[in-house]
Amino acid sequence: MTPFPGMSRRQWLALAAAGAVTPPASGLFGRIAHAAAASRRRRCILLWMSGGPSQIDTFDMKPGHANGGPFRPIATTVAGLQFSQHLPKLSRQAKHLAVLRSMATREGDHQRATFKMRTGYLPQGPIHYPTLGSLFSKELSDGTSPLPDFVSVAPYRFLSPAAFGPGFLGPEFAPLIVGDTNPVPMDPGAAVDDSQALRVRNLQQPEGIGAARIDARLKLLGQFEADFGAERPDVPVRSHRTAYRQAVKMMRSESVSAFDLDDEPAAIRDAYGRNRFGQGCLLARRLVERGVPFVEVSLNGADAQMQLGWDTHQDNFDTVKRLCSTLDSGWATLLEDLGRRGLLESTLVIWMGEFGRTPKINPNRGRDHFPNAWSTVLAGGGVQGGQAVGRTAVDGTEVADRPITTGDLLATVCGALGIDAEKQNVSNVGRPIRLVDPRATVVEGVLG
Amino acid sequence: MAVLGAKCTVGGPGFFSKVTTVLRSATVLLLLATTCAVARGDEVVDLAAGIDGVIQRRLAAENVTPAPVADDAEFLRRVFLDLGGRIPPSTRVRRFLADRDPDKRRKVVDELLDSSLYVVHFSNVWRKALLPETQADPQIRVLVPAFEAWLRQKLTDDTSYAEMVREIVTVPLAATGNPREISGQADRPSPLAFYQAKQIKPENLAASTARTFLGIRIECAQCHDHPFDNWKQSDFWSFAAFFAGMERQGRGGFLAAIREVADRRELEIPGTDTSVGPVFLDGSRPLPTQTRGARKLLADWMITGKNPYFARAAVNRLWSQMFGIGLVDPPDDFTADNPPSHPKLLDLLASEFASHKFDVRHVLRSIVASNAYQRTSRRTDPSQQSPRLFSRMAVKGLSPEQIFDSLAQATGYVPAAVDRAPTGPGVPDSVRSEFVELFGDDSSRPTQQRTTILQALALMNGGFVSEATSLDRSRTLTAVVEFPALGTGDRVEALYLAALGRRPGAKRLAGLVAYVDAGGVTKDPAAALADVFWALLNSSEFLLNH
Repeated sequence: MTPFPGMSRRQWLALAAAGAVTPPASGLFGRIAHAAAASRRRRCILLWMSGGPSQIDTFDMKPGHANGGPFRPIATTVAGLQFSQHLPKLSRQAKHLAVLRSMATREGDHQRATFKMRTGYLPQGPIHYPTLGSLFSKELSDGTSPLPDFVSVAPYRFLSPAAFGPGFLGPEFAPLIVGDTNPVPMDPGAAVDDSQALRVRNLQQPEGIGAARIDARLKLLGQFEADFGAERPDVPVRSHRTAYRQAVKMMRSESVSAFDLDDEPAAIRDAYGRNRFGQGCLLARRLVERGVPFVEVSLNGADAQMQLGWDTHQDNFDTVKRLCSTLDSGWATLLEDLGRRGLLESTLVIWMGEFGRTPKINPNRGRDHFPNAWSTVLAGGGVQGGQAVGRTAVDGTEVADRPITTGDLLATVCGALGIDAEKQNVSNVGRPIRLVDPRATVVEGVLG
Repeated sequence: MAVLGAKCTVGGPGFFSKVTTVLRSATVLLLLATTCAVARGDEVVDLAAGIDGVIQRRLAAENVTPAPVADDAEFLRRVFLDLGGRIPPSTRVRRFLADRDPDKRRKVVDELLDSSLYVVHFSNVWRKALLPETQADPQIRVLVPAFEAWLRQKLTDDTSYAEMVREIVTVPLAATGNPREISGQADRPSPLAFYQAKQIKPENLAASTARTFLGIRIECAQCHDHPFDNWKQSDFWSFAAFFAGMERQGRGGFLAAIREVADRRELEIPGTDTSVGPVFLDGSRPLPTQTRGARKLLADWMITGKNPYFARAAVNRLWSQMFGIGLVDPPDDFTADNPPSHPKLLDLLASEFASHKFDVRHVLRSIVASNAYQRTSRRTDPSQQSPRLFSRMAVKGLSPEQIFDSLAQATGYVPAAVDRAPTGPGVPDSVRSEFVELFGDDSSRPTQQRTTILQALALMNGGFVSEATSLDRSRTLTAVVEFPALGTGDRVEALYLAALGRRPGAKRLAGLVAYVDAGGVTKDPAAALADVFWALLNSSEFLLNH
């Protein structure tokens, strides 16, 4: 069964992989796809919690149980829904939040779990799975923005580098990364200014070199690329070409002012929190506002250092408290700000890490990796907020109701974004791969 | 001579002393050196032929036409980058292209492997493999100087790979004084950072040891039995028990002093009541009488010639370093469902490596001598599809250090002392460290390496390239522009040799000469040469290894 009679499936796939034929937009083998109405398409902001945040100390409190720890639950603006006492600002945004309390994902190793949550698949032989930002921005892009379709703020890539790249989709779908280095303060002892770290550097052409000269240089470069690239169809060569093309487009565009956070009133910047994550959330809003379809912001540590922040094997409670303070300001202000600007309905905000933490508190006052029963949150566009979905047992050690797999979560995300989860891309090994594992089902009652 | 003598096995053990006692003249020593070199060379040729045999049979079986051997310029640039970590100086390119010696490729490889370029470059290569944590965590980077200084020392002394691994695994933890002092300092070389970067946790050390030295990923057995392989959770913790009994003293994070209880050999599997003692990954156990020095036992077990993983993992890493893709790929993932592309080749390289006392340079020399390595990176036939058949050389990204050192080489930038120090990433006030930050790898596969928008912007508009292409500040450009009595063609050619290590093709040259003579946008030939140099330095041919 192939679209071309007389051709075996294998032959057809080989041709498709070589780019000789174009696969139909959705569904390769006669499946009827759910055509997503373009009008329903939304933008997406992923708040990525490196290291795996503790569900019991944030969104799935267990007061009165030994596993509950010292934090107290507080009421939110939604009756019956409680968050941790260290998320007071977010508790006032509760009507936008759907807390999924019954994630059950099996993978307890940072590398594999990060890969699974960020690509939807487990690392498997030679297939280079793309990260969610690449997958979804490809679907959501209208191809007209002078800014990259996927911007990643402060990604902590070390433990699972393959989970952060465009994989088989190729370099065109790679993220623009900002804020992934620790800025060196101008003078030692000075506070780190995160707006500097989030800026795109070197956008100005060198002094004394006018626009006409840049054009002449780029023309020469184009000739050299033609000489070298013609017989070398390798990823590094293609990626060089793509990066230069995107860089030049950005150099010539007004939209790059998105990265100038100094344009914002000081009060707004303070509200988001003067740290990498908070300012990253502010940047995300500014980018989404200018049409960037996918932005991710990583929270890697309370003091904005590159560290595996939520991996709290020791001193869980002190660390989570500090992380929550950063998270609370950044996230709650983002939702508020998006709402004020009329963007919340068209923007989905995802909160997740690679797994949760053990309900049992270990002898170092820490919590260890726990994929069996943990929480993620969807907020904003396309989501019925103000609810908790699924339930864990009284001691938090297992899912009591509605286990949600990684695929179920991502299928739900696709639903909220207006993307066809069954859409297929042809992978680097010639096999078509669905956006989301076909066994997944949309979590009922979450989509608005 | 000491180095050669130690490796030369020609004529048996008595041969060397007999000859030296009878004839002590320098001439004879020289002769002897030549004999050794030839003997060593034959082994290189043999192994290279062995490599090509396996590769060729597979290509034939798959009906793939391999690409021809690269020309001299392509070859020279590649070996300089692969063995010396930077592009060749243009004087060396001119000399090499003019050299009529049929053996010149071999000789330049020998020259590189005996140079300090090799020591510095491969210290970098090993440091990234052994301390991957330094890529991500700026705090851990303070450990780099002492570790890299240690690596440089070992590579200069020609210490075998097995001995290096033994020294790492068995490094004294407490006896050498305060680790805080040792680790930060390049003048106190030590491999202790391997332990510090793993936070001296048995589970981290076990996972890293298995993965780095044996190519086995056992870490997912930490939490549950391995889904695909035979590793059980208890296997993992039994292996980790070789690293039991270490603890930090007081505060100070990963720099705190370490104490080791030499006879503590049990480890509790977290979340269970079970304690396990050390068991090797092949299921054998240390004898009950061997109650102390577990790490020494582990090192012995790993590097013994009988261990099937050790030599394979090492040669596969070297292969992957040279080709951008391992025979087993990813190179640290030897599992049943990730078989090698060429099992016989892996066996061959491993047994040669072991029988040559784990001499890394012998393996590198032989790989570089093979046709497989010397093929052009151009795709010359549509059948050259799969990178795993090695039908043509893959195009690889450069490491940040290679990019910086090559830019310095091409532009005549004189590095400051801080740029040359074995500091690795993260040291402020060094131009090199800025590049290392910006070009830090985000992919474990050099054949998948991507240029980022930020890198493109830095190369187009950033200070370093701007200076290098500025008429008043660039050494290379100034020399080319101001050298008297050169035609425009010679000047363009000089820029090509400096940046790309080759001469331009005739058609392209004619076009560029016309551009320069017309003076470009500003009607100034010198400025037009600067434009050409700028475009060369921004080209993928310059920025990639091919």
